[in-house]
Amino acid sequence: MTEAKLAEESSLSDDFLGQLISVGEVDILVGVPTHNNAKTIGPIVETIQASLLTFFPRERIAIINADGGSRDGTSGLVVNAAIGDTRSGSKMYALRTLHSISTQYASTPAGGMALRTILAAAELLRAKACVVISPESTQMTTDWLAALLRPIYAEQFDLVLPTYRRHRFDGILLTNLVYPMTRAVYGLRIREPYALEFSFSGRLGSQFLAQNPWLEETARAGSEIQFTLAAIAGGYRICQSFLGAREHVERRSADLVPALRQTVGALFSSLEPNFSLWSPKTGSQPIPTTGAEQEFTLEPLRINRKRLRDMFSTGVAELESVFRAILSAPTLAELQRIAGLDEAHFRYSEELWVKTVYEFAVAYHKSVISQDHIIQALAPLFRGRAFTFLMENRNGSANDVGNNIEGLCLEFERMKPYLLEMWSGRQ
Amino acid sequence: MPLEQDELWYKRAIIYQVHVRTFYDSNGDGVGDFQGLDQKLDYLVELGINTIWLMPFFPSPLRDDGYDIADYNSVHSSYGTLEDFRKFLGSAHKHQIRVIIEMVLNHTSDQHPWFQQSRSSQENPRRDWYVWSNTDTGYHEAGINFVDTELSNWAWDPVSKSYYWHRFFSHQPDLNYDNPAVREEMWNVMKFWLELGVDGFRLDAVPYLVEREGTKCENLPETHAIIKELRRKLDEQFPGKMLLAEANQWPAELRPYFADGNEFHMAFHFPLMPRMFMGVKLEDRKPITEILQQTPEIPPSCQWCLFLRNHDELTLEMLTNMERDYMNDSYAEDKAMRLNLGIRRRLAPLLDNDRRRIELMNGMLMSLPGTPSVYYGDEIGMGDNIKLGDRNGVRTPMQWSGGWNGGFSDADREKLYAPLIQDPVYGSPAVNVFSQKKTQHSLLNWMGRLIAVRKTTGAFGSGSMEFLYPANHRILAYVRRLGDETILVVNNLSNAAQAVELDLRRYKGNILIEMFGKNIFPRVGELPYLLTLGPYSFYWFRLRRI
Repeated sequence: MTEAKLAEESSLSDDFLGQLISVGEVDILVGVPTHNNAKTIGPIVETIQASLLTFFPRERIAIINADGGSRDGTSGLVVNAAIGDTRSGSKMYALRTLHSISTQYASTPAGGMALRTILAAAELLRAKACVVISPESTQMTTDWLAALLRPIYAEQFDLVLPTYRRHRFDGILLTNLVYPMTRAVYGLRIREPYALEFSFSGRLGSQFLAQNPWLEETARAGSEIQFTLAAIAGGYRICQSFLGAREHVERRSADLVPALRQTVGALFSSLEPNFSLWSPKTGSQPIPTTGAEQEFTLEPLRINRKRLRDMFSTGVAELESVFRAILSAPTLAELQRIAGLDEAHFRYSEELWVKTVYEFAVAYHKSVISQDHIIQALAPLFRGRAFTFLMENRNGSANDVGNNIEGLCLEFERMKPYLLEMWSGRQ
Repeated sequence: MPLEQDELWYKRAIIYQVHVRTFYDSNGDGVGDFQGLDQKLDYLVELGINTIWLMPFFPSPLRDDGYDIADYNSVHSSYGTLEDFRKFLGSAHKHQIRVIIEMVLNHTSDQHPWFQQSRSSQENPRRDWYVWSNTDTGYHEAGINFVDTELSNWAWDPVSKSYYWHRFFSHQPDLNYDNPAVREEMWNVMKFWLELGVDGFRLDAVPYLVEREGTKCENLPETHAIIKELRRKLDEQFPGKMLLAEANQWPAELRPYFADGNEFHMAFHFPLMPRMFMGVKLEDRKPITEILQQTPEIPPSCQWCLFLRNHDELTLEMLTNMERDYMNDSYAEDKAMRLNLGIRRRLAPLLDNDRRRIELMNGMLMSLPGTPSVYYGDEIGMGDNIKLGDRNGVRTPMQWSGGWNGGFSDADREKLYAPLIQDPVYGSPAVNVFSQKKTQHSLLNWMGRLIAVRKTTGAFGSGSMEFLYPANHRILAYVRRLGDETILVVNNLSNAAQAVELDLRRYKGNILIEMFGKNIFPRVGELPYLLTLGPYSFYWFRLRRI
């Protein structure tokens, strides 16, 4: 994007722009998108600061907080982390000024806009490397930043995505759909294509900022996975770094549809423009990874499985007319069959799940109904698949869980021709 | 014309540090001498220098460039005679140039007759003039200054079969200041030179005069008492003369050397110097403002002495390990450039011969609070020779012209006390006084203008200091005030153009007059004052309410 265009379309406030001018050029930019994160942001920023001063003491650095209208003082907590010659937010010694500035990009949160603000700042500050840190990553350690930034800084990678030690039932949407489908479609084994912590090179950031249709509301959702997909599509160098434990976050049932929009919606949206890229790919390749590709913890976790299955059955019944538009007749029939099974016999098989997902992707592509309705309709089916995943892995070891996920991935890869056939309308 | 009477002359001084050996050889023996220095006084006047600081010129085996003195009351024969010195001093005063000389109080050469007598027997009356011991275990908490060459501060003397204490090289035994006779004799030495007419002393290595068990043997109260006594005698018998401390210490430890205005008149600000280099490399004012914030107030009659480079390595002692590593990696990539805890390079090579950075650094030197000291040859951007041992690479002959021996000496080249800088960038054909004098915008002529502009106000030498803290951290801005004079200094530490908004509301109604071109800048109002600065550029503004 040219500077003129950036300025023309800029949503950056004059005050923020003034602060960026004062920051000047940086080597590393740390982006922290927030919205009412006062409870967690303080320690996180302290960890960021400690990490920067430990691992990158000589670099020119700015922490940029893109805030979505916090009313709990989040921004102030970030700004107080600055280390300058008039005040210092740290007991640690800094060789040079460590900037920490905050801007409110909107009065309501929007992840895409937060990322855009961070990308715009990175471009204006000509950052060599940028890292985005979630304000909820309370388990973050000082090693995280080093693990994310070093491949960019020292090894010329363009995108570094995290791998974590997760609970076996954390991120079921990721392990049962986003990861295996991204892997099958694009041919790369990226564990966390929708990452809350990631780092990228300045050139990738600028490229994404220039290409992404930021003004379209739909494009703003799931910008993190779009970012990953843009890196894949652009042939950028991608790697993974193991960060350690990521705490299980309890999600409300109502959070599922927004999560589907942000991840699956973005994944489905990426298929059409990148068809020539992904359609010839078969199988998948590993990408360079520092540390473990995945680790699971097994401690007991209370999940209301019955509710998942009930919501699946109810959804299949209530949304039949919608599913008729989306799914093939055999797939729908099979879903209706298993919806009638009792808990002991219920099983949403891998093959059926892959077929379901691929048929949804094609329906999305062909816009058989509103794309948003398609995404919403996937929610009850996902719950059914989640139920099966929970049942099949409830007594499994970490290896068993890993093997089951790998099996699903291979199923997605095996059935990719099915996706292609439907995509081009032969089925 | 006698020297202008001015008790606080050192606050208005522009010091030029020179070793007589390096400056100009008048008799063609390959070594600079006092007659040669005398002949070059017009050059220094033209540059704007009003004080010369002479490095040691006493008889010496020259194992530490004259800091190993073998006779305090004479002149090394290579540099001339005592009469030559007397003539030079008179001539300097006629040129309105004061002369301060080096005085190495802490130690002598092991060739000094005092030490020879002291070591000769345990019963010798001078035995107790030095610090002797039967073991090498005392004062073990004291640090070693020359870590690259010395393993201990004790050295075995095979003559008297005991150990003697030395904080510097082992051939430089420390005098024993617990002995009143030593204190008296060293005052007599100072008196000798004061009676000849010198204007002050740079007292070398002052923190180390006294040793006490269980301490680092630095900055001890007993040392301060000795200096107070010297100062009292100086003020009583030679009013208007000045003492300058060489004490490479942190600001809080340096402060006691000013006491209540009754120890040193001046002290070098060692911690500031490397931070100026660091600030320019980091493009961040933080190291500079931080150290000056930590610098305590000093009595009104006292003064800091500022410098960019001197005859020693660019000392990194007053830095943290992290800062030291950064400086070494930034300014001494070649390990041969490193010596002890410092970097043995001259100003121009340190700054990649970047004229803009050289100007910026000199601009800060001349405008930060204190009296500036310019190291000979840096005014023309001389280079160094790291192939020469120790610190000799920054002590090569002054380059007066592009001719034979750089105009320094008529001697055969092999007779020169040290080889000239010969590389194509810094060699005398490229860098010399003669050609720079003829070029209006040469570094030499620019330095002359800089000094001249500094001299137009007393605010730089004696004024108060107030930092402005614009949001742009690459801008170092401060206000110097003296009486009704107000000077605004704005430095861009970055290699890119910068915009900066300065909060000058308290000066509302003033117009800014740029002090070099005397151009008028807009009047200060309520709004932040916007300035743009080119890479590494700086402004000095006089604020005037007209």
